[in-house]
Amino acid sequence: MTHDRILVVGAGPAGLEAARGAADLGKDVLLVEATDQLGGTPYAHYATLTPYLKDTHEAMGPMVEGVQTHPRIDVRLKTRLVASQGEAGQFVVTLQDDRGNQAQEAVGAVVIATGFRHFDPGRETQLYGYYEFDDVITLVDAEHMMQQGKIVRPSTGLPPERVAFIQCVGSRDRQIGNQWCSKVCCGIASKQSIEIKRMVPEAKVFIFYIDMRMYGFWEDQLYWKAQEEYKVNYVRGIVTEILKKGDKLLMKGEDTTMGRPVELLMDLIILSVGMEPSQGTLDMAQQFHVPRESHGFMATVGEPLDTVTTPVAGVFVAGAAAGPKDIEDSVSMGGAAAVKAVTFLNRLSQQLA
Amino acid sequence: MLSNLYPEVPLQEKQRLFDQVKADPRYESYLYGCYECGICVAACPSARFYDFSPRKITQTMAREDIEMFYEHLNDDIWNCSQCFSCTRCPRQNNPGGLITIMREVAVNNGLKSTKEALAGYTRIIYKIMTTGTQVSPDMLQEDAFPDWGPQVKEVASHLDLWRRALPPETLHTTGLSWQVEERTMLELYTIWKLTGVLDMISELDEGLHDIMEEVMDDALEDQGFTVG
Amino acid sequence: MNPKDLPMVGRGTVPETQRVFRPDPDQTPDDDIREAVLELGREGEWIVQPVPEPYYLAPTKYGRSKKVPFEKTWHHKSCGQCGHIPGYSTSIFWLNRFLGYDYFDPRDQTSCTAWNYYASATSNQVAQAAVAMRNFSAAYETGYFPIIHCGTSFGHYKEVRHELVHNHELRRKVRDVITKLNRPFVMPEELVHYSEWMYAIRDQLKARVVHDLSGITATVHPACHYYKLQTGDAIYDPEIYGGQRTAAVTAVVQELGAQVADYSTWYDCCGFGFRHILVQRDFTRSFATMRKIEVMKAEANPDVVLTHDTGCVTSLDKSQFATQAHGRNVGVPVMSESQFAALAVGAHPFRVAQLHWHSTDYRPLLTKMGIDVEAAWAEFQEDLAKIEHGSMEYLTWESVL
Repeated sequence: MTHDRILVVGAGPAGLEAARGAADLGKDVLLVEATDQLGGTPYAHYATLTPYLKDTHEAMGPMVEGVQTHPRIDVRLKTRLVASQGEAGQFVVTLQDDRGNQAQEAVGAVVIATGFRHFDPGRETQLYGYYEFDDVITLVDAEHMMQQGKIVRPSTGLPPERVAFIQCVGSRDRQIGNQWCSKVCCGIASKQSIEIKRMVPEAKVFIFYIDMRMYGFWEDQLYWKAQEEYKVNYVRGIVTEILKKGDKLLMKGEDTTMGRPVELLMDLIILSVGMEPSQGTLDMAQQFHVPRESHGFMATVGEPLDTVTTPVAGVFVAGAAAGPKDIEDSVSMGGAAAVKAVTFLNRLSQQLA
Repeated sequence: MLSNLYPEVPLQEKQRLFDQVKADPRYESYLYGCYECGICVAACPSARFYDFSPRKITQTMAREDIEMFYEHLNDDIWNCSQCFSCTRCPRQNNPGGLITIMREVAVNNGLKSTKEALAGYTRIIYKIMTTGTQVSPDMLQEDAFPDWGPQVKEVASHLDLWRRALPPETLHTTGLSWQVEERTMLELYTIWKLTGVLDMISELDEGLHDIMEEVMDDALEDQGFTVG
Repeated sequence: MNPKDLPMVGRGTVPETQRVFRPDPDQTPDDDIREAVLELGREGEWIVQPVPEPYYLAPTKYGRSKKVPFEKTWHHKSCGQCGHIPGYSTSIFWLNRFLGYDYFDPRDQTSCTAWNYYASATSNQVAQAAVAMRNFSAAYETGYFPIIHCGTSFGHYKEVRHELVHNHELRRKVRDVITKLNRPFVMPEELVHYSEWMYAIRDQLKARVVHDLSGITATVHPACHYYKLQTGDAIYDPEIYGGQRTAAVTAVVQELGAQVADYSTWYDCCGFGFRHILVQRDFTRSFATMRKIEVMKAEANPDVVLTHDTGCVTSLDKSQFATQAHGRNVGVPVMSESQFAALAVGAHPFRVAQLHWHSTDYRPLLTKMGIDVEAAWAEFQEDLAKIEHGSMEYLTWESVL
């Protein structure tokens, strides 16, 4: 017997769209989320969304509410999937809530949308001192401040006069073992640079980069806008070391356009940390026996024409669990995964009928 | 990038030298590709004092720009400090290691610029290859290190006495850093001969090569050591 | 604003931030090469010489542990240390004796020859590996475990080990050479630098300190070849700069009770340059003084510069004379942490630390440490007189312990 219900693991943009899509197509959906709210990493940690600079809760509100109130979606917050048995059409999964209570659920197909985690700068092989200096922060730390409507130096609580972003921290790096571009960090850094200039117009803001990856409309929506309207300084070259001198941060690098080593003083340095598979993604790959592709994310078959079907029958993936994705990609994949999962279940029951 | 510093050297000759560098078994793991992040330059001591860029050398090799390669081979590689600060490259290139290989090729082929770069250094090669220790106490002489001040003279004038005032029994030496057994030395000579290192010297300094070969062959023969 | 005009913050090796990073050995970017060494041993490719017990387990960059032997050590000496700064090796040996450890000072040892290789490239991959393996073989035959005095030898041998593990053709060529010498083909289980041994014995030294070092400020120069070559195999301690910089030297000096002061060019090399120190010293002098000593003076005003490598002691010490003559802000004594530690636990500054081989004035430091320099020098002069007049052939260990 085929269970006519779809399990979605993870309630970020990809999982929300997958759940909403499958439910709108008439299937019952079981949506499992480890944290205490819907919306995933952007909703919890990002003040605004790239590239439109819209407030995240405002932008994602209708999507979150649509899922919460959908009659066909059974939402389980603070719940993890701890075991899985069976196969396509007849999965039996064990769920565990934050109090340790376990329950078994039967589902026919699965969409994994467990996303990414931000790279931990303790593992970078340069000397950026995230674990030495308060004024070295990550993109996420900056968003947390922006959620409170401010950008300040953590050491003083005062607005910075000079801010630098360092791109590709934990991305594009064979030393670390992360041989991929995380896709969104160039856009997020440019977005934040605009926001910093809006909050502290007199600040000087620098972005140190290897290549600016501003594809499609991000080119003029973010890159040109930051450069032309907000006078953000884009410097080609990556920083190798950060030290504290006086109450300033001293950063060393090469300006590769000019071809000389540079040493500059900054008040605040923001590390553009990239994406890695989240713990949830690693766990789900193991639970459902989904192979991981060469970078460690969840593997799909049929790329580039099928972005959501995994090699395991009845198991689909959406969003950053399958590799670095922006929100547009994640949501599109969520929709695609919903269609594939629903179609898969329909075909399966037809075959059996 | 067009280079015209060495128009008199035929392209085939430059290509031949490049191919030798590329044929080194280490080359593959020393050069993957370069996206010009500049981390190697920022960490490089030589880049602060010379017109020297490990990034440019790496990029030149990656592009297989034969003319630029030949310029680096002559004009840049000897400025490197071989400190390997550049190994922090996020692509895991080893610019300093590439330069080590380029230097080996430059020595093997007796480049004029290499002979100039190593002028005054050959006494050190003699010391290390014949005694197994790179610097000896008796090399601390005022004329060799005039910028080190009067302390060098002080050492030189008391050398024998001061060496005897060293508690470790192996350090009562002046012509080499510590006492090295004869068998040890002969084994070292054998290594130099078996691995072709002695032959490398002949391109660099034929006179030095002949002297060292004689020293080593005599010693090996006296002790009945056979090589090969 | 010129960055040079700003002070370093005097917080020692304690991170400013409350954030704490815990390295996860599962997240290491590379495979553990020691596993590969053991595997090749099981396959009969070479003999793996085990680290003798008891050993100390020291933390490395990515959170793996490294075995550092306390005794039964075979001392792979450094040509530059023994030749020009002999108090360096003498202090290492003296500390072994002081703690009652069994060690071996071999004559069947050549230099690693890497100084020459990095200076002139008049060698090649096979020859360099053969020199290393000949020395390892010699150590193995004595039953003592190699401990490497020079930072460059240590770094170079780590490179050689990496190449031998990953290139079986190289392994075959080198084994052929070693076999022709009638020697066994041996790779030690660990490659250990003497400063790692210093790290392992730091608490034993602390218990024996006889001079109050609380007024002494030291700056530390970590040696490039110690930790930049094969970064994963160097001591990193979460207590020292949050585990972000190597703890070698620094952890020992702090344990002895001295203050370690930070300076902004700590990552820069000393300027040695291998070739430069011998035939192009304008570079060495400029770098050693302008990028290192002058910055240390301006930012930390240290009483002493401590490091753990042959070339670094040489270039940082000797380069100061000419610069001082120009009236620039230099003039800090330079020595190894082994010499400094020996002094701290009561070693004689001339009989053991042999400071008369050093160039920059060390007398103010000794005085500040509470050592009577004049008296010590007079004692040493008496030793010299005895040797000169033949009543003593050499200064012996018996007379310095």
